[in-house]
Amino acid sequence: MSTSPLDPRQQATVDVVQVAVQSRGYWATVLGRILYDKVTMICGLILLLIILSTVFADWITFTDPYKANMLKRLKPIGTPGYPLGGDEMGRDMLTRLLYGGRLSLFMGIAPVVLALGIGGLLGLTAGFLGGRINMLIMRIMDVFYAFPSVLLAVAISGALGAGIFNAIVSLTLVFIPPITRVTESVTTQIRNLDYIEAARASGAGTFAIIRVHVLSNVLGPVFIYATSLISVCIILASGLSFLGLGTEPPEPEWGLMLNTLRQSIYVNPEVATLPGLMIFITSLTFNLLSDGLRSAMDIRL
Amino acid sequence: MVNSVYKHLGRLPSVILGGVVAVAVIAGSMSNSGTARAEGTLRVGMTAADIPLSWGQPDQGFEGYRFMGLMLYDGLINWDLSSSNKPSGLIPGLAESWTVNPNDKTKWIFKLREGAKFHDGSEFDADAVLWNFDRLFDKTAPQYSARMASLVNFRIPSVSYNKDSNTKGWKKVDKYTVEFTTKSPDSFFPYQICYILMSSPAQFDNTGKDWNKFAQNPSGTGPWKLTKMVPRERAEFVPFKGHWDSSRQPKLDKLITIPIPDPNARTAALLSGQVDWIEAPSPDAIPKLKERGMVISSNLYPHVWSWHLSRVKGSPWNDIRIRKAANLAIDRAGVKALLGGYAIEAKGHVTPADPWYGKPSFQLRYDPAAAKKLLKEAGHGPNNPVKVKMMISASGSGQMLPLPMNEYIQQNLKEVGIDVEFEVMEWQSLLDRWRAGAKAEQANGAHGVNVSYTTQDPYSSFTRFLRCDLHAPSGVNWGYHCNKEIDGLLEKASLAFDPKERDIWIAKVHTMEVDQALFVWVVHDVAPRAMTTKVQGFIQARNWFQSLTPVSMK
Amino acid sequence: MLTYLIRRILYVIPICLGVTVLVFGLVHLAPGDPLSAVVPPDAPEEMVQELRVAYGFDKPLPIQYATWLGRVLTGDLGVSVARGREVTSELALAVPNTLILAVGGTLLGFTLGAFFGGVAGYFQGRWIDKLATGIAITGVSVPHYWLGLVLVIIFSVEMNVLPAIGMGPNGSSNWVWDTEHMKHLVLPIITLSVIPMGIITRTVRATVAEILNQEFVQALHAKGLLNHQVLMHVVTNAAPTTLAVMGIQLGYLLGGSILVETVFQWPGTGSLLNSAIFERDIPLLQGTILVLAMFFVFLNLLVDLVQSAIDPRMVR
Repeated sequence: MSTSPLDPRQQATVDVVQVAVQSRGYWATVLGRILYDKVTMICGLILLLIILSTVFADWITFTDPYKANMLKRLKPIGTPGYPLGGDEMGRDMLTRLLYGGRLSLFMGIAPVVLALGIGGLLGLTAGFLGGRINMLIMRIMDVFYAFPSVLLAVAISGALGAGIFNAIVSLTLVFIPPITRVTESVTTQIRNLDYIEAARASGAGTFAIIRVHVLSNVLGPVFIYATSLISVCIILASGLSFLGLGTEPPEPEWGLMLNTLRQSIYVNPEVATLPGLMIFITSLTFNLLSDGLRSAMDIRL
Repeated sequence: MVNSVYKHLGRLPSVILGGVVAVAVIAGSMSNSGTARAEGTLRVGMTAADIPLSWGQPDQGFEGYRFMGLMLYDGLINWDLSSSNKPSGLIPGLAESWTVNPNDKTKWIFKLREGAKFHDGSEFDADAVLWNFDRLFDKTAPQYSARMASLVNFRIPSVSYNKDSNTKGWKKVDKYTVEFTTKSPDSFFPYQICYILMSSPAQFDNTGKDWNKFAQNPSGTGPWKLTKMVPRERAEFVPFKGHWDSSRQPKLDKLITIPIPDPNARTAALLSGQVDWIEAPSPDAIPKLKERGMVISSNLYPHVWSWHLSRVKGSPWNDIRIRKAANLAIDRAGVKALLGGYAIEAKGHVTPADPWYGKPSFQLRYDPAAAKKLLKEAGHGPNNPVKVKMMISASGSGQMLPLPMNEYIQQNLKEVGIDVEFEVMEWQSLLDRWRAGAKAEQANGAHGVNVSYTTQDPYSSFTRFLRCDLHAPSGVNWGYHCNKEIDGLLEKASLAFDPKERDIWIAKVHTMEVDQALFVWVVHDVAPRAMTTKVQGFIQARNWFQSLTPVSMK
Repeated sequence: MLTYLIRRILYVIPICLGVTVLVFGLVHLAPGDPLSAVVPPDAPEEMVQELRVAYGFDKPLPIQYATWLGRVLTGDLGVSVARGREVTSELALAVPNTLILAVGGTLLGFTLGAFFGGVAGYFQGRWIDKLATGIAITGVSVPHYWLGLVLVIIFSVEMNVLPAIGMGPNGSSNWVWDTEHMKHLVLPIITLSVIPMGIITRTVRATVAEILNQEFVQALHAKGLLNHQVLMHVVTNAAPTTLAVMGIQLGYLLGGSILVETVFQWPGTGSLLNSAIFERDIPLLQGTILVLAMFFVFLNLLVDLVQSAIDPRMVR
């Protein structure tokens, strides 16, 4: 017996399980489909470009993202030496955006990865063991589910205070419940499938069952679901910094930059909106990628 | 066929919606400003996050006094807010005169004003004065308010009160005379008295002896009456026709104050016509405001932006050469440019125009060569820099633009051989740590803290930071500074009851303070405010507080 | 069925209790003095200690929790430390303001979402589908606080056709449904509606596509059944899921409006939450989070009940 129904997006992901169980060579089909899907490929490339340029930021840019130069404050786009303008402290925007991407991406991905690990484990346990433990874990998750995600993130961050570490803790806590739910749901469905019974009957040990059947079938959908959470996480993380609860100055990070550049919307609005644009593009490409992966795995569409 | 039906139904709601939006936009473009208002109504956007408390002693710091406390109430002594080109000093308020008893200098006689009325019609007299002081100290009194006490009692350290025996330092002599007793002779006492505002005892009784209800229907003797208050959104004031001071009769029909803590929202509100006046526009927005025809009003006032240094053992600032070098290394003109020109370069804790300035021989200026020389003498230089850690905030009342300013100074200091590391925190956290002192664990080994200060009265300007015994937890001598000679001068100042003589002693304190480079002084704020051209008659006094009575709308 | 309904309703109770524990724990996790925002800078330590006792912050946490819970159950959410006003009265003022935004945003999001989703589902695979889906994904990916900022720059500051902040020319009091007040609604509602729009578009699209692909629909069409009957069929089948999603979105907007309210200075629960956090106003913070969470819990409950009433298959 499970808890409250999953929302439609989660449900759609879970349905993928049916497909997964049925055919072999399945992953090959998926890969093929992805390669043919132009939109997903382009998004993947753009994302790769963004990620690589932030990781190798120090190779691409030659300015120090922390070095302020008051004479170059809020210079417009195209000033020599400042291809994307100067921010409110005279630092080069291009450099700040690239270095900022590191933190923004990190704060967008790390909580989801952590939540995947913790939530996945919890969901697996709840789904596989069932009974009392299932009830205990899922009830606790329900309490967290009683909060809309923004509220929970802001409340936890507000309590812990500003700071990257606190923001990551907060966001991880926000994403653990949905991942636990999806994992539990998927695991429960698989556990009850006939061929698991068959495996048991044939004498396979619990661990082997988990490893061979459950994991390989659960990981896929849960992983896809988690990737769809990344874009939300990026927006939430930047939102926290925007409110003053996440990254603190002078660290470069897109949400924080949106916050500190707000003062400058009257002098140089284009520069002030750049970090938001980056958040948007990154979030969009993650979403499209995640969607592409999902439709590649789901033959119903 | 499914096609067409579905399409029609699907589109209908959005067509309606599109129509509504279109109508709204068209209607909006026809009227330029967002709101219609009565003639002679001024709408002010404040930096406070909420309407200040209206029951007497305001919260929200000095802005609370400016846009609530001093509008609804008076103190026994008021500030002279009538002129913009001379220092703003104390003038009679609800007390017409105050003198110290020459034989016992701990006793002050205040002669009260006759005929002053509260908004509710009751009369102001000596009983009201006693009642208001009881409100802050006497726990047995029904009108006692712990919250009000916490808001203001620290500003009157001298008044005598014994909490064990409930012995009070305020006494009625006759209907219009009150006698105050101070703990020890203190010539700064009048400066302390002006922060205590007089609420109406009669109104307190009328509102069921409940301060929260009183706050909804406040009554004081001030030039304005509160007619409406929506928490967090607006407060509306009208002139009080029966105000005792004819020179301060408000000209406006109505004044509305609106809390807009976000500087961007404030600027947007002014530009879109939702308010007529905003406090503290962000310096970056000022060129745009001017471009749109807004008027920027500013004036020097008793504010100083400085680094408060630690004199705890082991702090690099204990060496006077390093302190002087830091003061010489800062390009104050550059900081001023950062603020769009809206600042005054500091020459000390107060400005040379101030009677307390004195005659310091150490001149604050931008001289990196001299700074390097001093550092060299102290055994430092670019190869062996002084390492300093400072606590700063990202924002805060009076802090101006803390991050750009501090970063700029960091650059300046690096060039001469002082490496500064910042610990950035939220404003309230910074204040917590400031209160805790440099030796506290929370100070995290910081050698200085950047908090901006008022220099409006001698205690706040000098005594509280310099006197040896006023370190945490008894006071805010954050850095544990101690110099017996300065203590002596402060004592002499507090015993000099002739204002001119007192000012001379205070000037000696300041002279010594600058010569010893006890702080790193950077700039003074000029309190820029932006308003539309319709606002007439505003006189920006050299004070943290301002009077809105002469203002009218064209 | 009835047992399911009753069980579902009763289930809310332990959840609510859990929520109170979480809220209380969260708020008291906070490092720093609960009084720091309230106490003026120069106040001496003894004064601070007195205030601490007056507010009850000196008692051990479990006792504070029990006292608070007891009061909450009688409807007393305490008194705001920073303002001296009762938390319930603050919330009573703020909640309707946020409701106006949340309902408006959800309705706009729903309308647009239903339209885009319906079109996309009907024309699945064609370019219209891709366009509509593209719009939906954009809606979910855009940081809406950034969008709000951009809208303010364009429409308020540059073009001066719409107000930048606040809830009407006289603030939130005397709310009237006239043009002046509607102008203040336009930008915040548009900003808030983008995410629901995106999500509802995808939901509707998926549901409509699924239904239209069912064989018996083709069969009905072949039999020459009138279009509006097929339409009814589509709508009644799409409705439960869509309404469920809409309900949840309403809850999200209600509880998560803080970012948009900060940009537009809308005097709702989001702004309240913002001040409570930065002023470290413990009673206000606890009360606001609790009430918002409760709204969400009951909204979820309502959605579940309605869904199971419409479509018993949804009962698990």
